[in-house]
Amino acid sequence: MSLLDVSDLHASVVTDDQTQPILKGLNLAVAAGEVHAIMGPNGSGKSTLANVLSGRPGYQVDNGAATLDGTGLLELEPYERAQLGVFLAFPYPVEIPGVSNMEFLKASIDSLARARGDAQPNTAQFIRQVRELASSLDLDPAFLKRGVNEGFSGGEKKRNEIMQLLLLDPKLAVLDETDSGLDIDALKVVAAGVNRFRNASNGVVLITHYQRLLDYIVPDFVHVLSNGRIIESGDKNLALELEAKGYAWLT
Amino acid sequence: MADLALPAALATPAWLNPVSNAGQLPLPEALHRALNSAAHRERWKYTKAEAFLGATHAAANLPLINGARQPGIEVKQTAAPTPLVGFDLEQAPEAFARLCYASNILTIDVSAPTTEPLTLAHAANTVPILIRVAQHASLTLNEISDCGSDAQQTTWIDLAANAELRHSRNSLDTAGAHWQYLNVRLQRDSSYRLHNHVTGCRSRRQDVHIIMDGQGAEANLMSAGSVEGKSALDQQFTLEHRQPRGRSQQTIHNIVANGGKCTFNGRIHIHEGAAGTDAQLANKNLGMGEHATINSKPELEIYTDDVRCAHGATVGTISQDALFYLLSRGIDQNAAQALLSQGFLRQCIDGPLAESALETLIGGAFVDL
Ligand SMILES: Nc1ncnc2c1ncn2[C@@H]1O[C@H](COP(=O)(O)OP(=O)(O)OP(=O)(O)O)[C@@H](O)[C@H]1O
Ligand SMILES: [Mg+2]
Repeated sequence: MSLLDVSDLHASVVTDDQTQPILKGLNLAVAAGEVHAIMGPNGSGKSTLANVLSGRPGYQVDNGAATLDGTGLLELEPYERAQLGVFLAFPYPVEIPGVSNMEFLKASIDSLARARGDAQPNTAQFIRQVRELASSLDLDPAFLKRGVNEGFSGGEKKRNEIMQLLLLDPKLAVLDETDSGLDIDALKVVAAGVNRFRNASNGVVLITHYQRLLDYIVPDFVHVLSNGRIIESGDKNLALELEAKGYAWLT
Repeated sequence: MADLALPAALATPAWLNPVSNAGQLPLPEALHRALNSAAHRERWKYTKAEAFLGATHAAANLPLINGARQPGIEVKQTAAPTPLVGFDLEQAPEAFARLCYASNILTIDVSAPTTEPLTLAHAANTVPILIRVAQHASLTLNEISDCGSDAQQTTWIDLAANAELRHSRNSLDTAGAHWQYLNVRLQRDSSYRLHNHVTGCRSRRQDVHIIMDGQGAEANLMSAGSVEGKSALDQQFTLEHRQPRGRSQQTIHNIVANGGKCTFNGRIHIHEGAAGTDAQLANKNLGMGEHATINSKPELEIYTDDVRCAHGATVGTISQDALFYLLSRGIDQNAAQALLSQGFLRQCIDGPLAESALETLIGGAFVDL
């Protein structure tokens, strides 16, 4: 059994006036310890996959299943999926003025601890841990007092997502274009964060448009998602090939 | 509709003569006309004026005063105030009547920069208050209303050139019918800051009238309100820019939940000649639960070019994107909603009375991390 098992997933995006099928029979198995990169043309369904796995409203599952360690995800509320160990790094993290980063992180870690029957972390220790994590990602700890993502630059928001990844330590990380909008140094910092997260018992789904990221986070598999399906899979060399040739030769 | 009428006969007080209305209509008639004007009816559209007007001559106490014994502050009870400049019969006939009925008012004169806050605690109906801050003087004023029954407070503040007032006001009790009238006149380069924290009660009415009456004056108003269950809040904010280069910023956030009724009317009036004015007002309302009633009306009157003015009013519910972000981090639905509504109010809670405001408006959930 894989850590993440997605089988024959069909899903639609639901808008006011229509239901539009996006995922059309997607299969993906991520074993513990693996990093899977997902690439593919704009509009092919990569973010839809991330959203459906994390339970974002506005999507409808038409068929298929997705399990984490054998537990069905698609029936669960978004917060239950997170408590089970799913983490989505958002491509455009939202700003929440009035709720400080620190307070938000504490609420999150306390919820996860409660759900797992663990003791809630000691507050002083928690604050120290978060500060250290922030520094390790070149985020000024002063940011922690500000509203969640409030006034953060694009790159700072992405680093904040990785900080949350390291703090919450999920089983499965789905990173949607976490590399976009990062300068060269920040890209390395973020990649180092993801590599720090990786271990033998967790998994990463890395959605990206850029082969460059895969020089820093070396994937075990690279998949091409096109028109709602995975049409090609390979090792890291597939990304180099795509970089050279584009997607047209596959579709 | 029957005419609004004063609750008791009113003689023109001697102090009134120097005020601008002299020589026009006799006072009772002028008041009668103001009370029954179209503009007045509009201001009292969502709250019945009768009950408040009927109580303008009710017996009144002194507030409890703390911090008056420090250099630079003089507090006295006077039988008649000196004429008030910027005081507007048309705008606030009830407040005017209250001043006329009062046999005593409380006068607070601030003649120098002060270090300790002055605290006024209103436990009941209190006498009209006049606060004058002299040139280059400064004051931190804290007002706490905790009235178990119907009460009124009328306060006039006059800031001389370069004076500074930081005003915090908590009105967090939930009993009775409560009316607060506040009039602030700002002279040249003076500055005024208000932190208003408020809940609904059976019927709470807050009239705030700010007059930028000198060049370069600066006013910053922040208000956080929570109107829950069968309670009501009606806020009428008027900000007049009468002189050039004034800056005003108003941010009013109200949560209205489960049957609460909330009205906000924000009027900005930029007079002819008030060039270089910068006036900003943002009123955001968050409806939660069932049957929240929210009325928000922006009003702009601008008679000068060369001004910057932004006036926005929104009525909405919790942002689904923000909610999903919290849920995706394992925070359950109720906790996430609570965090977001708390965050919405916290943006407008600050100043020396913030702690008890946070406690009442946001609950014990506040953690200062
Ligand atoms: N909330 C939504 N409302 C309307 N259409 C949507 C919504 N979400 C996705 N879609 C549509 O679904 C299709 C797939 O979008 P998706 O965001 O999954 O693509 P993507 O592979 O992530 O693309 P990109 O590389 O540009 O990020 C697109 O045609 C998109 O317009
Ligand atoms: Mg996408």
